[in-house]
Amino acid sequence: MTATVHTAVPAGTTPPAPPRAPRRRVLNLGEKTIPYLLLAPAVLVMVVLLGWPAIQVIGISFRKLDLGELVRGEIVWVGLDNYTSVLAEPEFWTITLRTVLFTAAVVAGTILAGLLIALLMRHLSKSVRVAVQVTLVLAWATPILAATTVYQWIFDQQYGILNKTLVKLGFDSFQGFSWFSSGASTLTVIGILIVWQAVPFVCFTMYAGLLQAPQELYEASAIDGASSWQSFTTVSWPAIRPLVTLTTFLSVIWDFKVFAQVWAMKQGGPDGESTTLPLLMYLRGIAGRHFGVASAVAVLMIIVLLALTARYLQLLLRTREADIS
Amino acid sequence: MKKTRGQRIALNTVGVLVALVFAFPTYWLFSSAFKPSTLMLTPDYDLFPTSLTLDNFVSAWNKPGFLTHLTNSLIVTVGAVLCSLVAGVLAAFPLARLRFRGRKGFLLLVLIAQMAPLEALLIPMFLLMQDAGLLNKLPSLLLVYFAVTLPFTVWTLRGFVQGIPYELEEAAMVDGLGRFGAFRRVVLPLLGPGIVATSVFAFITAWNEFLYALVFMRDNDKQTLPVWLSTFRTVFGTDWGGITAASVMYALPALVFFLIVQRKLVSGATAGALKG
Amino acid sequence: MKRLTKLVAGAAAIALATAGCAGSGGGSSDSSGSGDKTLTVWLMSGSAPDTLTDALNKEFEAANSGVTVKYEVQEWGGIQDKLTTALASQDPPDVIELGNTLTPSFSADGVLTDLSGDVADLNGDQWLASLKQSGEWDGKDYATPFYAANRVVLYRTDMFQQAGITATPTSRQEWLDAITKLKATFGSDPQFQPLYLPGQNWYSLLSFIYDEGGNIAEKDGKEFKATVNSPEAKAGLEFYKQLVDASGTTAPKDNDEQNPEQAGIYGQGKVAMMIALPWEVGTAAKDNPDIEKNTSAFPIPSKTAGKTAPVFQGGSNLAIPVNSKNPELAKAYLKLLLSDKYQSQLAEAGMVPGASTDLSALDANPVSKAMAAASKSGNAAPATPKWGTVEAGQNPLKDMMTAYLTGAKDLDTATNDANTALDAAFSG
Repeated sequence: MTATVHTAVPAGTTPPAPPRAPRRRVLNLGEKTIPYLLLAPAVLVMVVLLGWPAIQVIGISFRKLDLGELVRGEIVWVGLDNYTSVLAEPEFWTITLRTVLFTAAVVAGTILAGLLIALLMRHLSKSVRVAVQVTLVLAWATPILAATTVYQWIFDQQYGILNKTLVKLGFDSFQGFSWFSSGASTLTVIGILIVWQAVPFVCFTMYAGLLQAPQELYEASAIDGASSWQSFTTVSWPAIRPLVTLTTFLSVIWDFKVFAQVWAMKQGGPDGESTTLPLLMYLRGIAGRHFGVASAVAVLMIIVLLALTARYLQLLLRTREADIS
Repeated sequence: MKKTRGQRIALNTVGVLVALVFAFPTYWLFSSAFKPSTLMLTPDYDLFPTSLTLDNFVSAWNKPGFLTHLTNSLIVTVGAVLCSLVAGVLAAFPLARLRFRGRKGFLLLVLIAQMAPLEALLIPMFLLMQDAGLLNKLPSLLLVYFAVTLPFTVWTLRGFVQGIPYELEEAAMVDGLGRFGAFRRVVLPLLGPGIVATSVFAFITAWNEFLYALVFMRDNDKQTLPVWLSTFRTVFGTDWGGITAASVMYALPALVFFLIVQRKLVSGATAGALKG
Repeated sequence: MKRLTKLVAGAAAIALATAGCAGSGGGSSDSSGSGDKTLTVWLMSGSAPDTLTDALNKEFEAANSGVTVKYEVQEWGGIQDKLTTALASQDPPDVIELGNTLTPSFSADGVLTDLSGDVADLNGDQWLASLKQSGEWDGKDYATPFYAANRVVLYRTDMFQQAGITATPTSRQEWLDAITKLKATFGSDPQFQPLYLPGQNWYSLLSFIYDEGGNIAEKDGKEFKATVNSPEAKAGLEFYKQLVDASGTTAPKDNDEQNPEQAGIYGQGKVAMMIALPWEVGTAAKDNPDIEKNTSAFPIPSKTAGKTAPVFQGGSNLAIPVNSKNPELAKAYLKLLLSDKYQSQLAEAGMVPGASTDLSALDANPVSKAMAAASKSGNAAPATPKWGTVEAGQNPLKDMMTAYLTGAKDLDTATNDANTALDAAFSG
């Protein structure tokens, strides 16, 4: 296998040309159907198991669907009632803005930390690198329930190791300091927890992307006397650029939807100041089993997400062939 | 690329610091697992545990069902990861390399599919599985996890394929390998690290899922580990000692899975190096 | 709207040939007819001891030939979601246990069988008043009491002895005096706390408010109105602060008794009292077995000397889902479970039985005895469908307590804010 790869590689050691579209080729009928055949399993699964339930959610968002209706199988259309009741809440826009800002901060922290650690990993000796990787995997694999609890312990007002350590270091004002006394500091703690759990994926993805970049390109740029920054911009960045865009996009979606950690930490308190949109969906819809309302919030969440990622989607739709390679 | 000794020491020191920061919460979980449960929170300064005990592990191990639930979790998780990888690789190639009608529509579908909050899909999914007669059967969970991780897998693998210079494939095609031969011989091996990263992701997503497992699997002996973990919380209070020990036991398979596939990350690097 | 309906219907046809209409539940197909029947019973983890349920199920199966009891223990985590989907499914359970704060919303949704006509059969004359209320909706009984529990003051007998406290406090003043004495004896240890009391133990606050003659909400026709800013409620909150200040407890003011778990703190041996449920002794004793010998309990003292403060009663109800296929069998099962025989076994296990006034079995243990003594006067949470969401979610009482105890808000602002928030939750 490696021999084939070896011969298949162009001999030149010039830095790579910017990604280029494949040349247009005349496709025969057999080749025309091939993309669809390859996509078929994925399409089937997504349409049946995600698309269909998602369409139902949109339908349900225009219905009154409490437990009673669900059990009796009744279909009660209420038009836009669910939407108006959610949008009429004075807090809705505050919560939306808070969710957007929180998402932005967490995503920025995650991507930046993930990228830096991935770049760093390339330059570590093997043992240190494996140590870093193992700690990342452990952070990732820790069950959410346990991770949230451990963070609560660490940040505990009275018995938390953080306050105890800070006091020991001479910062006496942290004696009995409450990390959960305001929405902002509560969200900060939750943000640290989420970044801690999200960095491993981003980091591994980028590291994998860096490894994909053919080694000889680095060597070539070194021979050319490039500085670290130059070799980053000419070799590393082109290799991971699609992955950076991709992980940013995915992180936006995931962090926007985070429920378990935010809920477990303080149930959106104090005074509702750490409530985000997924919590609103839970509080107004799911906890009281008003599934119509929950679905309406879910649809609104998707709309906000679409707005947030609009630019990315636009790029995707506008560019023609350039995005293929 | 060649670094001086001083630079290497400095970088490795930073690396060790990163590892320490990331390890701390995990360390705290592990050290709690070895503490008597009354000492989980104490006024004393206990950065390093003062007394160690295996009681928590004994009680977690003795809690009925660990092995059954472990097996169930492994079946649905590994099954979902494999399905999702196969379907993902098949779809990623045409999406990254071929032009065809409906390509963008499909991309949009994949993107939007990830935006719906899972909690909101629960009831339609439940009714769907009921109609399909799959409730209380492990395949229902496998299918859900497959579906949930698939858009991500497709999307990420497409990104990895794009990251591979097209010239490599072209050269192989010039050598007479044909489009799919070139994909199989050139792209697939280079995709190794990407497959590792996505499969670890899919593994952990499926491994951690609680809500669907709880609702779909009515019988206790069909439950997965996250549901088992939640049984440490009862009306009589929470068995924190048990939870910490159980969490360690629960995180280990994911770590083992990573260590198995991690060699791919390295061999991916070697494949890259060989080409020089 | 029509187009959307069409879209939904169209997608249905394409996606799944077998698909039923969106969001429709099961429950229509009936497996009636002769022959073997299965009665599915869902009780919660930790409710009835295995010995009780084993005997119960055996007796029931013996009395009803051809019937198998499928007994399944459920966990509390995620139970709402599991019940919701199970009730909408084709084979719902026949008997379910519901937390008493959840019951009104299930009754109001019309998914429980009306048991009004069977109350007498089900030991109705002995039902615990607070839990009976939880099961009532619109003048009908949709759920029966199962069991209840209430908080007591757990205390260290050895510490009381050393501090020269000869009798357990029977009034608020004696309680405060005891705190002073304990402090004088053990105060040299900076980690010692006469009373561990976190800022958000709202169950205890409710007790103090009841004791003042107030409540957190009053029924006004069908609706509930919050009364947290009433003079009685304010007095209750003030006494809570008085206790916290007198004890100098280092418990967090912004958290409840579960975070950190108070039994764990008590188990470390530096706490003389805590307001807790009886079984928390067991949790504390897990790593410190000696503490159980030295722990006893007294009812929460009242402001009126010699009385005990009314308690907040938490507990469970039993109900039959409306689409159960075996409602008559399910009623027979409830009848057996609520009979004196099994209710007294519940009491032996340390619960206040919901359908029996005979509490003698609780007297065997001093801690349970204190609970039984206090249980005679108690209230449950307001019986509104909205309360479950309040308690599970953002409880305004907790925010109020933290704000007042930390001085972030004064008494009037804190109680008024909580009142507004509760009213919003009741109407929302």
